[in-house]
Amino acid sequence: MTAFEPLLVLDDIRKNYGAIEALKGISFAIGKGEVVALLGDNGAGKSTLVKIISGGLEPTSGRMLFEGREWLAKSPSEAKAAGIETVYQDLSLATNVDVVANFFMGRELTRRILGIPVLDEKAMEDVVAKALANAGTRIPSLRTKVEHLSGGQRQAIELNRFVHWGGKLVLLDEPFAALGVEQTRRGLDMIRAVASQGIGVVIITHIMQQAFQVADRMVVIRQGVVAGDVATKDTSPDAVIRMITGETLAAAGAAG
Amino acid sequence: MNPQTRRTLEFILDNLAWFMLLFVLAAFSLLVPNYFQPGIFANIVEASSVLGVMSIGLALVIIAGHMDLSVESVAALSAMTVGIIFCSAGIGRGVELQPDWLATPVSLVLAILVGGAVGAINGVLIVKLKMNAFIVTLASYIWVRGIVLAISGGSSAQDLAPAIRWFGITRLLGLPLTAWLAILCFVAFSFVMARTRFGRHLIIIGGNENAAFRAGIKVDRILISAFVLAGSIAGLAGWLLAIRTSGATANLGIGLLFNAFAAVVIGGVSLKGGVGALPGVYAGVLLLSSINTAINLMGLPATFTQLIHGLLVLAAVLLDAFKLQLRQKLA
Repeated sequence: MTAFEPLLVLDDIRKNYGAIEALKGISFAIGKGEVVALLGDNGAGKSTLVKIISGGLEPTSGRMLFEGREWLAKSPSEAKAAGIETVYQDLSLATNVDVVANFFMGRELTRRILGIPVLDEKAMEDVVAKALANAGTRIPSLRTKVEHLSGGQRQAIELNRFVHWGGKLVLLDEPFAALGVEQTRRGLDMIRAVASQGIGVVIITHIMQQAFQVADRMVVIRQGVVAGDVATKDTSPDAVIRMITGETLAAAGAAG
Repeated sequence: MNPQTRRTLEFILDNLAWFMLLFVLAAFSLLVPNYFQPGIFANIVEASSVLGVMSIGLALVIIAGHMDLSVESVAALSAMTVGIIFCSAGIGRGVELQPDWLATPVSLVLAILVGGAVGAINGVLIVKLKMNAFIVTLASYIWVRGIVLAISGGSSAQDLAPAIRWFGITRLLGLPLTAWLAILCFVAFSFVMARTRFGRHLIIIGGNENAAFRAGIKVDRILISAFVLAGSIAGLAGWLLAIRTSGATANLGIGLLFNAFAAVVIGGVSLKGGVGALPGVYAGVLLLSSINTAINLMGLPATFTQLIHGLLVLAAVLLDAFKLQLRQKLA
């Protein structure tokens, strides 16, 4: 990797639920164009952390720097406006409308006919066609309702939409949980393509093989602390599993 | 399956209610004596004005993934308000305006405002206080009817001012203005749903409210607007009802809600939200109206109407399930 340009820096993030400490001081950084795999056992605090980054939760203490500036999102829409978004499986698409309507959801183009703003379907379809073609995604008809598309195609729409609207950091929660082998491979390719445009990607997964295929760096969370932060090329699946289960803390804080 | 057959099939599925209407009209024309006359068809359109307008509001809210059981009582309240102010007999006060043509726009605006106010109450309770739409509007269905009973004391208002009644009498191309108003509403709201951001957002909210919110769509504002619209449109239906009956009774319009539901479901609107379009709903309304007309012409007792409507709703829901399966095969 060239000079590490931090996109988001987490500094001693803590989150308490009453007496329970879910996060006990998390610090790591995500660079521009970097794919970070966030790993950890169930209950390790991954989801809490993701929610804090994307505005769903406020940390009890600690601070974040996004593009060098102090950052704290009060709501998911605020995070989204700044270019940080969580893409959940299916949660951000309306399957009852077509690809174009989903791509432009909330940002529909209109043109005035007799002074009335009317949806400009032609212009929107052209934009979507161009955006998907640039990303190498093929969808038979942009007028197909999303409910008729496969899981992989849906993910492609979500990611392309994110990139098109100026996203800077995307959090993917178990993106391949419901996908087949071929679709997963294409999904991984797409993540690399997204990252190569300078977008930061955080991918949460349980599947070690996927993490090693796509990520530049592994960050392991265990019992609310960073149990490991290593470049993918400097580690092995066995070592990462040991960090997850807590057999060793040797690699903690090694990178960053 | 080649793309051509597929497109044809999709087209038929999307417009199923219209094909059903054509089929039913053709069947009745062949089987029921005296059915095939322009006058009968005009009558079908005319008789469906009130139900048609009411169904639009209900359809908007259902497409947005919610429910409004109050539309029937709201229409009755608007009708009673107009009746009490502008009727000259019974409990009517016989208010006259100068110049007297003002009575039409003033009564119309009043009816819509009354409906919109109830809709706003429904919307705020459901959207802002996160109460269940079914329960909130069921409560409104009851309390709004309660207000109708209270302000009328159970009596009726008769003899609506001629300055308003002309609207139900004047004909244009064989149809009374009331029917044209219903048609105009369908055209206008079909356009809103299919071609404007508001309509698009309403459909998206019906499909996935969470996604709409995450995409920055102002879900609360749009949903409250939908309830206000449903109320206002129900108020408009009440205005038409007052004109049609030339007054208002305390039990005016009872049973309309279930016909409106039937029309909406037959018209292809899914009760789970996000699916359906208004032209289909109009076909559903006309379908119910043509069946009523056939029942009348055949001299069957009116009690059969309800039985047939019930079966029709069941058939529509079955058809909906069947359509879904077929669409999955097409995909």
